Amino acid sequence: MPSLKNIKTEAPPEQPARAVFDTGFYILALSALAAGVLVVVLKGSERALEIAQEEMMFMAVLAPKIAAGMFIAATLPLLLPRDKVAIWIGRESGMRGLLLAAFAGAAIPGGPAMTFPLAASFGLVGADVGAIMAFVSSWALLSLNRTLIWEFSFLPVDLVWWRVLLCLPFPILIGLAARAVFGGRDA
Amino acid sequence: MNILIGTVLLGAVALWLYWKLPNAEWRAAGIANAWRMAQFTAPRIVVALLGAGFFAELLPPEQVRALFGEGAGVSGVLLAIALGPITPGGAFVSFAVGAAALKAGATSSLVVTYVTSWSLFSASRFLAYELPLMGRQLALRRLLLCLPVPFLIAGAAHVV
Repeated sequence: MPSLKNIKTEAPPEQPARAVFDTGFYILALSALAAGVLVVVLKGSERALEIAQEEMMFMAVLAPKIAAGMFIAATLPLLLPRDKVAIWIGRESGMRGLLLAAFAGAAIPGGPAMTFPLAASFGLVGADVGAIMAFVSSWALLSLNRTLIWEFSFLPVDLVWWRVLLCLPFPILIGLAARAVFGGRDA
Repeated sequence: MNILIGTVLLGAVALWLYWKLPNAEWRAAGIANAWRMAQFTAPRIVVALLGAGFFAELLPPEQVRALFGEGAGVSGVLLAIALGPITPGGAFVSFAVGAAALKAGATSSLVVTYVTSWSLFSASRFLAYELPLMGRQLALRRLLLCLPVPFLIAGAAHVV
Protein backbone atom coordinates (compact mmCIF):
# COMPACT_ATOMS: atom_id res chain seq x y z
CA MET A 1 0.00 0.00 0.00
CA PRO A 2 1.29 3.48 -0.78
CA SER A 3 1.07 6.19 1.79
CA LEU A 4 -2.39 7.71 1.88
CA LYS A 5 -1.21 10.90 3.54
CA ASN A 6 -0.98 13.00 0.42
CA ILE A 7 -4.45 12.36 -0.91
CA LYS A 8 -6.28 14.05 1.96
CA THR A 9 -6.38 17.35 0.17
CA GLU A 10 -7.03 15.91 -3.30
CA ALA A 11 -10.38 14.99 -4.78
CA PRO A 12 -10.97 11.30 -5.55
CA PRO A 13 -10.30 10.43 -9.21
CA GLU A 14 -13.22 9.94 -11.58
CA GLN A 15 -13.87 6.39 -12.69
CA PRO A 16 -15.25 5.74 -16.17
CA ALA A 17 -18.78 4.40 -16.58
CA ARG A 18 -19.51 1.22 -18.54
CA ALA A 19 -22.44 0.18 -20.68
CA VAL A 20 -24.51 -2.25 -18.61
CA PHE A 21 -25.91 -4.24 -21.50
CA ASP A 22 -23.30 -5.21 -24.06
CA THR A 23 -22.79 -8.14 -26.42
CA GLY A 24 -21.28 -10.27 -23.67
CA PHE A 25 -24.37 -9.83 -21.56
CA TYR A 26 -26.70 -10.74 -24.42
CA ILE A 27 -24.72 -13.91 -25.18
CA LEU A 28 -24.92 -14.87 -21.52
CA ALA A 29 -28.65 -14.09 -21.32
CA LEU A 30 -29.41 -16.03 -24.50
CA SER A 31 -27.43 -19.07 -23.29
CA ALA A 32 -29.26 -19.00 -19.96
CA LEU A 33 -32.61 -18.60 -21.69
CA ALA A 34 -31.88 -21.50 -24.06
CA ALA A 35 -30.85 -23.73 -21.13
CA GLY A 36 -33.99 -22.69 -19.21
CA VAL A 37 -36.27 -23.50 -22.16
CA LEU A 38 -34.58 -26.88 -22.56
CA VAL A 39 -35.13 -27.68 -18.88
CA VAL A 40 -38.82 -26.73 -19.19
CA VAL A 41 -39.20 -28.92 -22.29
CA LEU A 42 -37.27 -31.92 -20.95
CA LYS A 43 -38.03 -31.85 -17.22
CA GLY A 44 -41.14 -29.68 -16.90
CA SER A 45 -41.74 -26.14 -15.72
CA GLU A 46 -41.94 -27.19 -12.06
CA ARG A 47 -38.35 -28.41 -12.07
CA ALA A 48 -37.24 -25.24 -13.88
CA LEU A 49 -38.93 -23.10 -11.24
CA GLU A 50 -37.33 -25.16 -8.47
CA ILE A 51 -33.87 -24.62 -9.97
CA ALA A 52 -34.52 -20.89 -10.38
CA GLN A 53 -35.54 -20.68 -6.71
CA GLU A 54 -32.44 -22.58 -5.58
CA GLU A 55 -30.19 -20.29 -7.59
CA MET A 56 -31.81 -17.16 -6.18
CA MET A 57 -31.33 -18.53 -2.65
CA PHE A 58 -27.67 -19.11 -3.49
CA MET A 59 -27.47 -15.55 -4.80
CA ALA A 60 -28.89 -14.25 -1.50
CA VAL A 61 -26.25 -16.24 0.45
CA LEU A 62 -23.48 -14.85 -1.76
CA ALA A 63 -24.76 -11.27 -1.74
CA PRO A 64 -22.86 -9.92 1.32
CA LYS A 65 -19.60 -11.34 0.02
CA ILE A 66 -20.15 -10.00 -3.47
CA ALA A 67 -21.02 -6.59 -2.05
CA ALA A 68 -17.82 -6.51 0.04
CA GLY A 69 -15.72 -7.69 -2.91
CA MET A 70 -17.23 -5.06 -5.17
CA PHE A 71 -16.57 -2.33 -2.64
CA ILE A 72 -12.90 -3.43 -2.50
CA ALA A 73 -12.64 -3.63 -6.27
CA ALA A 74 -14.27 -0.21 -6.62
CA THR A 75 -12.26 1.56 -3.92
CA LEU A 76 -8.76 0.19 -4.28
CA PRO A 77 -8.26 1.71 -7.76
CA LEU A 78 -9.10 5.09 -6.21
CA LEU A 79 -6.36 4.66 -3.61
CA LEU A 80 -3.86 2.96 -5.89
CA PRO A 81 -3.77 5.20 -8.96
CA ARG A 82 -2.76 3.18 -11.97
CA ASP A 83 0.03 5.56 -12.97
CA LYS A 84 1.61 5.04 -9.55
CA VAL A 85 1.47 1.25 -9.84
CA ALA A 86 2.87 1.45 -13.35
CA ILE A 87 5.77 3.60 -12.16
CA TRP A 88 6.64 1.14 -9.35
CA ILE A 89 6.71 -1.75 -11.76
CA GLY A 90 8.46 0.19 -14.50
CA ARG A 91 11.23 1.15 -12.10
CA GLU A 92 12.09 -2.42 -11.20
CA SER A 93 13.94 -4.84 -13.41
CA GLY A 94 15.37 -8.35 -13.12
CA MET A 95 13.72 -10.93 -10.88
CA ARG A 96 12.41 -8.22 -8.53
CA GLY A 97 10.50 -6.68 -11.41
CA LEU A 98 8.90 -10.02 -12.29
CA LEU A 99 7.98 -10.78 -8.69
CA LEU A 100 6.47 -7.33 -8.16
CA ALA A 101 4.51 -7.56 -11.43
CA ALA A 102 3.21 -11.03 -10.55
CA PHE A 103 2.24 -9.90 -7.07
CA ALA A 104 0.46 -6.82 -8.41
CA GLY A 105 -1.42 -8.92 -10.97
CA ALA A 106 -2.82 -11.20 -8.28
CA ALA A 107 -3.49 -8.51 -5.68
CA ILE A 108 -4.99 -5.59 -7.63
CA PRO A 109 -8.71 -6.20 -8.03
CA GLY A 110 -10.40 -5.27 -11.27
CA GLY A 111 -11.84 -6.70 -14.43
CA PRO A 112 -10.35 -6.77 -17.92
CA ALA A 113 -11.41 -3.18 -18.64
CA MET A 114 -9.04 -2.03 -15.92
CA THR A 115 -6.27 -4.63 -16.08
CA PHE A 116 -5.32 -4.56 -19.75
CA PRO A 117 -4.91 -0.77 -20.05
CA LEU A 118 -2.85 -0.85 -16.85
CA ALA A 119 -0.62 -3.58 -18.30
CA ALA A 120 -0.24 -1.70 -21.57
CA SER A 121 0.79 1.41 -19.66
CA PHE A 122 3.67 -0.48 -17.99
CA GLY A 123 5.55 -0.44 -21.26
CA LEU A 124 5.31 3.35 -21.42
CA VAL A 125 6.99 3.80 -18.04
CA GLY A 126 9.90 1.46 -18.62
CA ALA A 127 8.69 -2.03 -17.72
CA ASP A 128 9.95 -4.80 -20.00
CA VAL A 129 7.88 -7.38 -21.85
CA GLY A 130 8.57 -9.94 -19.10
CA ALA A 131 6.97 -7.77 -16.40
CA ILE A 132 3.94 -7.05 -18.61
CA MET A 133 3.42 -10.75 -19.33
CA ALA A 134 3.95 -11.75 -15.68
CA PHE A 135 1.38 -9.14 -14.61
CA VAL A 136 -1.32 -10.17 -17.10
CA SER A 137 -0.89 -13.91 -16.62
CA SER A 138 -0.83 -13.52 -12.85
CA TRP A 139 -4.09 -11.58 -12.99
CA ALA A 140 -5.61 -14.22 -15.27
CA LEU A 141 -4.46 -17.21 -13.20
CA LEU A 142 -4.39 -15.95 -9.63
CA SER A 143 -6.64 -12.87 -9.22
CA LEU A 144 -7.25 -12.86 -5.47
CA ASN A 145 -10.53 -10.97 -5.61
CA ARG A 146 -11.96 -13.38 -8.18
CA THR A 147 -10.85 -16.44 -6.21
CA LEU A 148 -12.29 -15.14 -2.95
CA ILE A 149 -15.61 -13.99 -4.39
CA TRP A 150 -16.33 -16.58 -7.04
CA GLU A 151 -14.06 -19.57 -7.03
CA PHE A 152 -14.48 -20.46 -3.35
CA SER A 153 -18.24 -19.99 -3.72
CA PHE A 154 -18.62 -22.60 -6.43
CA LEU A 155 -15.74 -25.06 -6.23
CA PRO A 156 -14.56 -27.29 -3.35
CA VAL A 157 -11.93 -25.64 -1.20
CA ASP A 158 -9.22 -28.28 -1.75
CA LEU A 159 -9.64 -28.06 -5.51
CA VAL A 160 -9.20 -24.28 -5.37
CA TRP A 161 -6.04 -24.60 -3.26
CA TRP A 162 -4.60 -27.15 -5.65
CA ARG A 163 -5.33 -24.99 -8.64
CA VAL A 164 -3.75 -21.93 -7.01
CA LEU A 165 -0.67 -23.89 -5.92
CA LEU A 166 -0.19 -25.42 -9.36
CA CYS A 167 -0.59 -22.03 -11.06
CA LEU A 168 1.64 -20.15 -8.63
CA PRO A 169 4.97 -20.50 -10.51
CA PHE A 170 3.59 -19.77 -13.98
CA PRO A 171 3.45 -15.95 -13.99
CA ILE A 172 7.19 -15.85 -13.19
CA LEU A 173 7.97 -18.60 -15.72
CA ILE A 174 5.93 -16.79 -18.38
CA GLY A 175 7.77 -13.56 -17.59
CA LEU A 176 11.13 -15.31 -17.94
CA ALA A 177 10.04 -16.98 -21.17
CA ALA A 178 8.84 -13.61 -22.51
CA ARG A 179 12.26 -12.10 -21.82
CA ALA A 180 14.03 -15.04 -23.42
CA VAL A 181 11.86 -15.09 -26.54
CA PHE A 182 10.85 -11.46 -27.11
CA GLY A 183 13.19 -9.54 -24.80
CA GLY A 184 15.87 -8.46 -27.21
CA ARG A 185 13.73 -7.58 -30.19
CA ASP A 186 12.08 -4.33 -29.28
CA ALA A 187 13.00 -1.50 -27.00
CA MET B 1 -18.45 -22.68 5.32
CA ASN B 2 -16.20 -21.54 2.47
CA ILE B 3 -18.69 -18.82 1.69
CA LEU B 4 -18.70 -17.68 5.33
CA ILE B 5 -14.89 -17.51 5.48
CA GLY B 6 -14.75 -15.51 2.26
CA THR B 7 -17.52 -13.20 3.45
CA VAL B 8 -15.77 -12.45 6.75
CA LEU B 9 -12.41 -11.95 5.03
CA LEU B 10 -13.70 -9.67 2.29
CA GLY B 11 -15.95 -7.83 4.73
CA ALA B 12 -12.98 -7.08 6.99
CA VAL B 13 -10.89 -5.81 4.07
CA ALA B 14 -13.80 -3.68 2.82
CA LEU B 15 -14.28 -2.13 6.27
CA TRP B 16 -10.56 -1.51 6.60
CA LEU B 17 -10.48 0.21 3.19
CA TYR B 18 -13.53 2.30 4.08
CA TRP B 19 -11.80 3.38 7.26
CA LYS B 20 -8.58 4.11 5.35
CA LEU B 21 -10.30 6.50 2.95
CA PRO B 22 -9.20 10.01 3.91
CA ASN B 23 -12.52 11.85 4.16
CA ALA B 24 -16.25 11.87 3.43
CA GLU B 25 -15.74 12.87 -0.19
CA TRP B 26 -13.56 9.82 -0.82
CA ARG B 27 -15.98 7.54 0.99
CA ALA B 28 -18.84 8.85 -1.14
CA ALA B 29 -16.75 8.28 -4.27
CA GLY B 30 -15.95 4.74 -3.17
CA ILE B 31 -19.59 3.94 -2.58
CA ALA B 32 -20.64 5.57 -5.84
CA ASN B 33 -18.03 3.48 -7.67
CA ALA B 34 -19.17 0.29 -5.96
CA TRP B 35 -22.78 1.11 -6.83
CA ARG B 36 -21.86 1.60 -10.49
CA MET B 37 -20.05 -1.72 -10.44
CA ALA B 38 -23.07 -3.39 -8.79
CA GLN B 39 -25.35 -2.09 -11.55
CA PHE B 40 -23.03 -3.63 -14.11
CA THR B 41 -22.49 -6.91 -12.28
CA ALA B 42 -25.85 -7.72 -10.68
CA PRO B 43 -27.76 -8.50 -13.91
CA ARG B 44 -24.85 -10.67 -15.04
CA ILE B 45 -24.77 -12.62 -11.78
CA VAL B 46 -28.52 -13.28 -11.82
CA VAL B 47 -28.47 -14.44 -15.43
CA ALA B 48 -25.28 -16.49 -14.97
CA LEU B 49 -26.51 -18.26 -11.83
CA LEU B 50 -29.82 -19.15 -13.50
CA GLY B 51 -28.00 -20.34 -16.61
CA ALA B 52 -25.56 -22.39 -14.52
CA GLY B 53 -28.43 -24.05 -12.63
CA PHE B 54 -30.27 -24.96 -15.83
CA PHE B 55 -27.06 -26.06 -17.48
CA ALA B 56 -26.18 -28.37 -14.57
CA GLU B 57 -29.64 -29.96 -14.83
CA LEU B 58 -29.08 -30.64 -18.53
CA LEU B 59 -25.64 -32.21 -18.16
CA PRO B 60 -26.00 -35.96 -18.74
CA PRO B 61 -23.97 -37.63 -15.94
CA GLU B 62 -23.11 -40.74 -17.99
CA GLN B 63 -21.61 -38.65 -20.77
CA VAL B 64 -19.78 -36.33 -18.37
CA ARG B 65 -18.28 -39.38 -16.65
CA ALA B 66 -17.30 -40.91 -19.99
CA LEU B 67 -15.71 -37.69 -21.30
CA PHE B 68 -14.25 -36.22 -18.11
CA GLY B 69 -14.35 -39.00 -15.50
CA GLU B 70 -11.63 -41.36 -14.30
CA GLY B 71 -9.87 -42.87 -17.28
CA ALA B 72 -10.88 -40.07 -19.67
CA GLY B 73 -7.24 -39.82 -20.73
CA VAL B 74 -5.72 -37.37 -23.16
CA SER B 75 -8.97 -36.72 -25.03
CA GLY B 76 -10.53 -35.50 -21.76
CA VAL B 77 -7.62 -33.08 -21.27
CA LEU B 78 -7.90 -31.77 -24.84
CA LEU B 79 -11.66 -31.33 -24.55
CA ALA B 80 -11.37 -29.59 -21.17
CA ILE B 81 -8.80 -27.18 -22.65
CA ALA B 82 -10.94 -26.59 -25.76
CA LEU B 83 -14.04 -25.77 -23.71
CA GLY B 84 -12.24 -23.03 -21.73
CA PRO B 85 -12.01 -20.36 -24.45
CA ILE B 86 -15.59 -20.80 -25.68
CA THR B 87 -17.20 -20.40 -22.25
CA PRO B 88 -19.19 -17.15 -22.40
CA GLY B 89 -19.44 -14.56 -19.65
CA GLY B 90 -17.48 -13.80 -16.52
CA ALA B 91 -15.74 -15.81 -13.84
CA PHE B 92 -18.91 -17.11 -12.24
CA VAL B 93 -19.94 -18.90 -15.45
CA SER B 94 -16.78 -20.97 -15.75
CA PHE B 95 -16.72 -21.80 -12.03
CA ALA B 96 -20.40 -22.75 -12.13
CA VAL B 97 -19.83 -24.96 -15.18
CA GLY B 98 -16.83 -26.56 -13.43
CA ALA B 99 -18.90 -27.20 -10.30
CA ALA B 100 -21.71 -28.74 -12.36
CA ALA B 101 -19.26 -31.02 -14.19
CA LEU B 102 -17.69 -32.04 -10.88
CA LYS B 103 -21.11 -33.00 -9.48
CA ALA B 104 -21.85 -34.98 -12.63
CA GLY B 105 -18.67 -37.03 -12.21
CA ALA B 106 -15.79 -35.14 -13.84
CA THR B 107 -12.39 -35.52 -12.14
CA SER B 108 -10.90 -32.65 -10.12
CA SER B 109 -7.84 -32.51 -12.33
CA LEU B 110 -9.91 -31.98 -15.48
CA VAL B 111 -12.00 -29.28 -13.78
CA VAL B 112 -8.76 -27.54 -12.74
CA THR B 113 -7.55 -27.85 -16.34
CA TYR B 114 -10.79 -26.38 -17.70
CA VAL B 115 -10.77 -23.44 -15.26
CA THR B 116 -7.11 -22.73 -16.06
CA SER B 117 -7.79 -22.81 -19.80
CA TRP B 118 -10.75 -20.47 -19.40
CA SER B 119 -8.80 -18.07 -17.20
CA LEU B 120 -6.00 -17.76 -19.76
CA PHE B 121 -7.87 -18.02 -23.05
CA SER B 122 -11.46 -16.78 -22.61
CA ALA B 123 -12.30 -15.84 -26.21
CA SER B 124 -14.86 -13.18 -25.33
CA ARG B 125 -12.39 -11.47 -23.01
CA PHE B 126 -9.56 -11.76 -25.53
CA LEU B 127 -11.58 -10.29 -28.41
CA ALA B 128 -13.49 -7.65 -26.46
CA TYR B 129 -10.70 -6.43 -24.16
CA GLU B 130 -7.22 -7.81 -24.61
CA LEU B 131 -6.83 -7.37 -28.36
CA PRO B 132 -8.09 -3.77 -28.54
CA LEU B 133 -6.56 -2.63 -25.21
CA MET B 134 -3.16 -4.33 -25.36
CA GLY B 135 -2.62 -4.21 -29.10
CA ARG B 136 -2.11 -7.11 -31.47
CA GLN B 137 1.53 -7.75 -30.76
CA LEU B 138 1.33 -7.93 -26.96
CA ALA B 139 -1.96 -9.84 -26.99
CA LEU B 140 -0.71 -12.49 -29.42
CA ARG B 141 2.60 -12.83 -27.58
CA ARG B 142 0.73 -13.36 -24.31
CA LEU B 143 -1.43 -16.00 -25.96
CA LEU B 144 1.60 -17.80 -27.36
CA LEU B 145 3.50 -17.76 -24.07
CA CYS B 146 0.50 -19.08 -22.11
CA LEU B 147 -0.32 -21.82 -24.61
CA PRO B 148 1.57 -24.63 -22.81
CA VAL B 149 0.25 -23.73 -19.35
CA PRO B 150 -3.07 -25.70 -19.31
CA PHE B 151 -1.25 -28.78 -20.62
CA LEU B 152 1.39 -28.52 -17.90
CA ILE B 153 -1.32 -27.91 -15.28
CA ALA B 154 -3.22 -30.95 -16.55
CA GLY B 155 -0.09 -33.09 -16.30
CA ALA B 156 0.75 -31.81 -12.81
CA ALA B 157 -2.85 -32.14 -11.58
CA HIS B 158 -2.95 -35.68 -12.88
CA VAL B 159 0.18 -36.58 -10.94
CA VAL B 160 -0.99 -35.02 -7.64
